[in-house]
Amino acid sequence: MLPLMNTVTLDRESAEWLGDLQGKDGGAREQAIARLHALLLRVARAVASRRRQTLPDRAIEDVDDLCVQAVNDAVMAVLAKLDTYRGAARFTTWACKFAIVETSSRLRRHAWRQRKVEVDDTIWDRLSDSTPPILQRLENDQLVVALRRAIDNHLTERQRLIFQSVAMDDVPIDVLAERLETSRGAIYKALHDARAKLRRALIEAGHGEPVS
Amino acid sequence: MIEFDFEKLLGSSAPDPGCDDSGELMDEYCELVLRGDAVPDRYTAFLTHMTNCAACREDMESLLAVLRQGEKTGRG
Repeated sequence: MLPLMNTVTLDRESAEWLGDLQGKDGGAREQAIARLHALLLRVARAVASRRRQTLPDRAIEDVDDLCVQAVNDAVMAVLAKLDTYRGAARFTTWACKFAIVETSSRLRRHAWRQRKVEVDDTIWDRLSDSTPPILQRLENDQLVVALRRAIDNHLTERQRLIFQSVAMDDVPIDVLAERLETSRGAIYKALHDARAKLRRALIEAGHGEPVS
Repeated sequence: MIEFDFEKLLGSSAPDPGCDDSGELMDEYCELVLRGDAVPDRYTAFLTHMTNCAACREDMESLLAVLRQGEKTGRG
């Protein structure tokens, strides 16, 4: 076990990965990058296989290209962030995370490529028939009315778009980030703020107890 | 019943560090789960985010699945 940052020790395999990828031996580094690419490609293909049923038929044939692109980006990200690896998890687990986030995000965006993201009042009409599971549970009509009023009165136009798309219409956060030309983190922050405003408004209107 | 729906649609009001900071902990949390270790309190906010964010939750479940498959096949 090798010491890292005084507090965390690396297992031997992780230390070898780090040594090869950060080393001055160009040949060993290139080999390590090739091994990393192969490992992450297996991971990306496994993720794609699990998500296959979520993809429209037209998207299936593009999936392997998508995995390769995702892994190319993931390897670049891993190499760029090697200095931030703290050894809290095995190196391969840490690296796999990059491949999963890249691949999943591309799969979600690919699945939505030909679908529009738009918010209109039909979402409220759909409450009574085929609706996302969360809304099906909102059986209390008064609560639905209060929620709609709170959305209209308390959210900005952007917050309304983000809340209704992500929380009510199940639009993936990556898809919305791409359409609005911003980051996943920024979309989540706007969703988080919108949810907080709505929680307060609904509680003030007498619906539900404050959640601790 | 209503409180449950509030939680699902509006998310938890507990502290939520967001996607980027939660992503930093995802790998170590998944290894901890696989080892069957008790989850320390410092993961509370991370778990709140996993409840609130479908995309991050999906990514975490994918990482857990990959690690479990790796254990079965002996590939790290």
